[in-house]
Amino acid sequence: MPSPPPDWVKALKPSGPQGSELLAQERAQSNINIDKLSELLHTKEALDRQQKMLSLLEPEKVFDKSQNHTLGRVERLQRSLAKAKRLQQLAEENQWSMEELHAANELIGEPTPYGLHASMFLVTLREQGSPEQHKLFLERAAKYEIIGCYAQTELGHGSNVRGLETTAIWNQEDQTFTINSPTLTASKWWIGSLGRTANHAVVMAQLFIGGKNFGPHPFVVQVRDLKTHQPLENVYVGDIGPKFGYNTMDNGFLLFNNVKIPHINMLARFSRIEKETGKYIRPALPSLVYGTLTWVRSNIVLQSGGVLARGVTIATRYAAVRRQFQDRDAEPSAGENQVLNYKMVQVRLLPLLASMYALHFTGRGMMKLYQENQSRMKAAASPGQNSRGPGPEELRAGADLLADLHATSCGLKALASTTAGEGLEVCRRACGGHGYSSYSGIGSYYADYLPTLTWEGDNYMLTQQVARYLLKSARAVLSGKAADNDTSRILKTYLDRRDKGASFDVLEEDKDIVEAFAWRTAHLTFEALKHRDAEKRSWNSLLVDFWRLSTAHSQYLVVRNFYEAVSSPELAQALDPETKTLMHALFRLYALHTLEREAAEFFSSGAVTVRQITLTRTTAVMKLLDEIRPHAISLVDAWAIPDWQLDSSLGRSDGKVYEDLFRRASQENPVNDLVFDPYPWNAAILKNEAPKSKL
Amino acid sequence: MPDFTDKLRPSQPDGPTTLARERQQSKISVDELSRHLLSSDGFLERQARVLPILQREPMLSKEKQQNLSRPERFKLGLARAKLLRRLTDQHQWSHEDYKMAEYLVDDVSPYFLHMEMFVTTIREQASEAQRAYWLPLIEEWKIIGAYGQTELGHGSNVRGLELEARWDSRTKEFVLHSPTLTASKWWNGSLGRIANHSIVVAQLLLPKPGSPDQYVSHGPHPFIVQVRDMKTHQPLDGVVIGDIGPKYGYVTMDNAYMLFDNFRIPHSAMLCRYSSVNPETGAYTKPEQPALVYGSLTYVRANIVHHARLVLARAVTVAVRYTAIRRQFQDRDSDKSGPEMSVLDYPTVQIRILPLLATTFALHYTGLAMRSVYQTTRNDVEQGDFRSLAHMHSMSSGLKSLCTMLAADGIETCRRALGGHGFGGGSGLIQLNNDYLSKPTVEGDNWMITQQVAAYLIKKMTAAAKSPNTPGADKTEAGFKDFIRNKQSAGQRQSVHDVLNRDQDIVKSFGLRATALAYDVYEQRVLKKQSWNNLLIQLHKLSKAQSQSILVATFYEALSTDNTLPNSSKDIMWDLYRLFALHTMENEGYEFFRCNAVSQADLNNLPARVQDLMARIRPHAVKLVDSWMIPDYLLDSALGRYDGRVYEDLYNRAHRLNPLNSITFNPNYWEEEIVKGSGDNGSGILSKL
Repeated sequence: MPSPPPDWVKALKPSGPQGSELLAQERAQSNINIDKLSELLHTKEALDRQQKMLSLLEPEKVFDKSQNHTLGRVERLQRSLAKAKRLQQLAEENQWSMEELHAANELIGEPTPYGLHASMFLVTLREQGSPEQHKLFLERAAKYEIIGCYAQTELGHGSNVRGLETTAIWNQEDQTFTINSPTLTASKWWIGSLGRTANHAVVMAQLFIGGKNFGPHPFVVQVRDLKTHQPLENVYVGDIGPKFGYNTMDNGFLLFNNVKIPHINMLARFSRIEKETGKYIRPALPSLVYGTLTWVRSNIVLQSGGVLARGVTIATRYAAVRRQFQDRDAEPSAGENQVLNYKMVQVRLLPLLASMYALHFTGRGMMKLYQENQSRMKAAASPGQNSRGPGPEELRAGADLLADLHATSCGLKALASTTAGEGLEVCRRACGGHGYSSYSGIGSYYADYLPTLTWEGDNYMLTQQVARYLLKSARAVLSGKAADNDTSRILKTYLDRRDKGASFDVLEEDKDIVEAFAWRTAHLTFEALKHRDAEKRSWNSLLVDFWRLSTAHSQYLVVRNFYEAVSSPELAQALDPETKTLMHALFRLYALHTLEREAAEFFSSGAVTVRQITLTRTTAVMKLLDEIRPHAISLVDAWAIPDWQLDSSLGRSDGKVYEDLFRRASQENPVNDLVFDPYPWNAAILKNEAPKSKL
Repeated sequence: MPDFTDKLRPSQPDGPTTLARERQQSKISVDELSRHLLSSDGFLERQARVLPILQREPMLSKEKQQNLSRPERFKLGLARAKLLRRLTDQHQWSHEDYKMAEYLVDDVSPYFLHMEMFVTTIREQASEAQRAYWLPLIEEWKIIGAYGQTELGHGSNVRGLELEARWDSRTKEFVLHSPTLTASKWWNGSLGRIANHSIVVAQLLLPKPGSPDQYVSHGPHPFIVQVRDMKTHQPLDGVVIGDIGPKYGYVTMDNAYMLFDNFRIPHSAMLCRYSSVNPETGAYTKPEQPALVYGSLTYVRANIVHHARLVLARAVTVAVRYTAIRRQFQDRDSDKSGPEMSVLDYPTVQIRILPLLATTFALHYTGLAMRSVYQTTRNDVEQGDFRSLAHMHSMSSGLKSLCTMLAADGIETCRRALGGHGFGGGSGLIQLNNDYLSKPTVEGDNWMITQQVAAYLIKKMTAAAKSPNTPGADKTEAGFKDFIRNKQSAGQRQSVHDVLNRDQDIVKSFGLRATALAYDVYEQRVLKKQSWNNLLIQLHKLSKAQSQSILVATFYEALSTDNTLPNSSKDIMWDLYRLFALHTMENEGYEFFRCNAVSQADLNNLPARVQDLMARIRPHAVKLVDSWMIPDYLLDSALGRYDGRVYEDLYNRAHRLNPLNSITFNPNYWEEEIVKGSGDNGSGILSKL
């Protein structure tokens, strides 16, 4: 690394007031009890766990983050595997729980090549394997004696699982399966941990018995030799190359040239083949399979608040430290203004600050609902469920405990991950020029997060499932067969009052805001129903309407969940009245800012008047920005993200932005070790180095 | 090495088949349309001439660059920049030819600042004597320069710069000094590792007349300073310089930090075409016409606007070709026997991509208009007429903000519309996204500069309101006066603009909405004395409305008057105009409705009309992007290849070009070894920390 700067540079300080002073001032002007708020958000237990993990990880050299942005892909992946190994050693030494391992991974902040082994491989073996298979595969996998991944997506197919091309043909004569890739597009693709690390894979392949296709099923296939770690014969496997982000993960490709595997390798908890006869036995409880997907999506919703919080924490702290121009209306002698005082900055950051709280409370609501449903499902596991067809498309609204939750999780997954992903980029741009530096800590985190918008259901594709559910619910309401749930309630309310019209006082009554969002959703639902059922429009031509409908519905759900959280007795008990009032202000900011952005839908549905929108825009939102501004730093502090996790010069909790930017640039930047020959006619790139091609 | 995967083919229908079918179904003549778009300034001819020269050079192959570390990638960037400079001599390229090569190679050149801002500043701000001395040195590459203005603590607010240039009347020198850490120069391109000279902008401190111990600041001024030794290339004593480290993009640029410790430079270092210091008396002479300084910034902004179309066209080309080839699910209403549907047939995909396709053309015509306004204004200014300067400045600021935002967000929208593969290195949109995302911030932050547009419009509206019944000084003012007179005569009424049926009414509707917003802001700022800060959000909306109005109006104007527009694409170009305008209107529906620029009935019909227009444009999408003539070499995209061999290329990149696949890992966590057989117990990894 470069040699330290001369003394005269070391002696320099940023011009005053110092970042640390500005943040101290910010913290002094807000009397929010940050600890209480943190505990409400995360629980005391989780905060202590984070602290414990931090003290274990931070001193270890292998977890150092300073070169994350500088290394080439190959070195980066090697480093990442070293981190993964060390983490697993620590987990074993300290006997970490799942929560502890999860907390440690969060702090490290980038995916590792063990990622898919530790999650999807183990989960799939556990949930889809028979007891015999648990013994054969799961026990060894849990000890990392075999390392695996989950190979579903292909080069030519992602969301449409039924379109997968890899085949598994049952051979009755020797009771084996032949796994084969008939085309190039059948190659497994994007499979995390597969590229260079795993020696086993759960492979989703089209099951054929006697020439008949039974759809995609999971098979355990060994892909590499346990000793040499080389691919087995007729298996072709490798890493798919550099990506926008996620470069510490070895996403892989995988092709099979008629590879035989034994009968035991088809995961058989739900569907299976009778070994002797070759008879296919149908799954007993297909809904459990997509129960897992609902759980995964609920988790994405739950995490989205924290993801956004990283960007907002960085951008808000930096906007309080960074000063630019004098206020145009201020005395000429005044110093430059903190950027966070500009309305143009506030209107970008504070609604996102409100969003991260909104998403967090919504995610919690979601999880609670999921757990309630799980226990009800277990209690009500009746034989009648067998008659339902497989997959979410076949659900009957109202008849199923999971239908509402499933639709909710699809819509919210799409809205929450889009809000978080795009919010991070808004935060980065709000940091001005320095946001473009890797040391801002936002860019690479954003790039790593982006696949979340696509995986576990592409955000656009998912909206169809929400619309389908709402249409079915609306039909049920019209025919008097509505299920007893909130969706039916808002649709009925709308039908009852449609002729009288709505008169929601969104500027004064919080409850009315929630009702206005419900009204808009119901209005859009019945509009879509009219297009589909009365006008017989094609499904395809309505996709854009469906996407808008799903977004509207999910925004309603966030607004409702946020409202319920800030009005709950738990919150009132945990927080002092002033902080509670502030939580209400955040709710109103999220809701009214959304309402203003989607103004056209709100007034064309008759939920509010144009005058109300004008007042929202020019007065109400402005007042809320003023009300929240003094507490902005405390509100991000309460999220309690450690500096080590943020890994950001701009977002440091001590405000030493400029010192840190300078230190990293001058001390942790290997480019400054190189002395270049700048002249075009000298082919040498470095002084005293022979010219060579680096391709 | 041959293996069983060599004989595998993608499932049918494959990419080439699909694209051939797409190209058959449209009557557009790609040749004619591309000539209309790109041949007036020799662009197409130049591209065809320069491209083969570049493709012969192994150094310019893009195959493995994404895998390199920052130092290696930077070295490659410099090696390429050197090669391009040598090729320039070898083939006697003009500056335009060179720019074409740079555009196609698509690396940000570490020489960029030397060739642009450094030399431009000398040309524009140096005295005749200074030009005579420096220009030959620069043009013969005897010295290599950069431009050091932005500091660690200050960007947009140039007056807030902290670096000092204090006049020492005893030695007749300036003393450059960084009093704080935030005074460090920062972000200055080409300076971190490459340049040996730099323009340095510093606060000019001169002794107060009468009390020579006290100093007065005369604001920021440019100096030319040698910063590195010509032989050793090390920073001179009293200067600290370095590269500021990794960034989101711009990996081949050595953006710099730079600090001075009482560093002495001669009197002649201050560029003194406009302001100067008398070496004998220390007296300061002011520039005669301060507005001139705007000139080069406006030029840069005008170029950014013009360039935005090609940037967006790249992303849209990839998105259209790949979504035509990619198939996913059967149509729900079909009998489900045919192949899966082309993704581009889904309206949820169309609504993301086709309005952006329309936007490329809107940006094109506006870019041309912006350039001609720049030329006219420049000629006026040369004649001593400064009246149009403020208008041009406002127009370039607003358009820079809107157009770079459209392009930057558009790239990302396209990338996401590609599904999973958009995230992979084979999309060709990653470096483009990373590099282009600097544009919303550089040369005037997109949010900051909209204030300049709004301030100009408020001024115009104030003038118009003073005497609404006299003729206006220019078109803008006349329009404002019309608006005020109508406002006084009429109450609330239905919109008279028939935006669904009359193309010209769309232009009027956009104009009305921008003018109404300008009037609102005028009312609140001038009449109701609202604070500037409280209005910032509205000012931003006003600037956007004004710039959207310009985009729509110039698009309409071009289609109505440009006789080089080929007949085979006329109808489709009008549909693209309508799609761009009506889709924009739909997104901003509330603003149009509020001021009666559109009726509620029309507003409710917009979504259906937009969808109808997309259905009409859809069959021509592939040929429309073909017309932008972006070569595969520039696209560097498996998904966007002209021949449609998407999956073969993705596989080739993963399988054959990926250096990671030549390394075998040891996956067992209880063994420290990372690379199998290396026997390295992990210390190799740690030693690099």
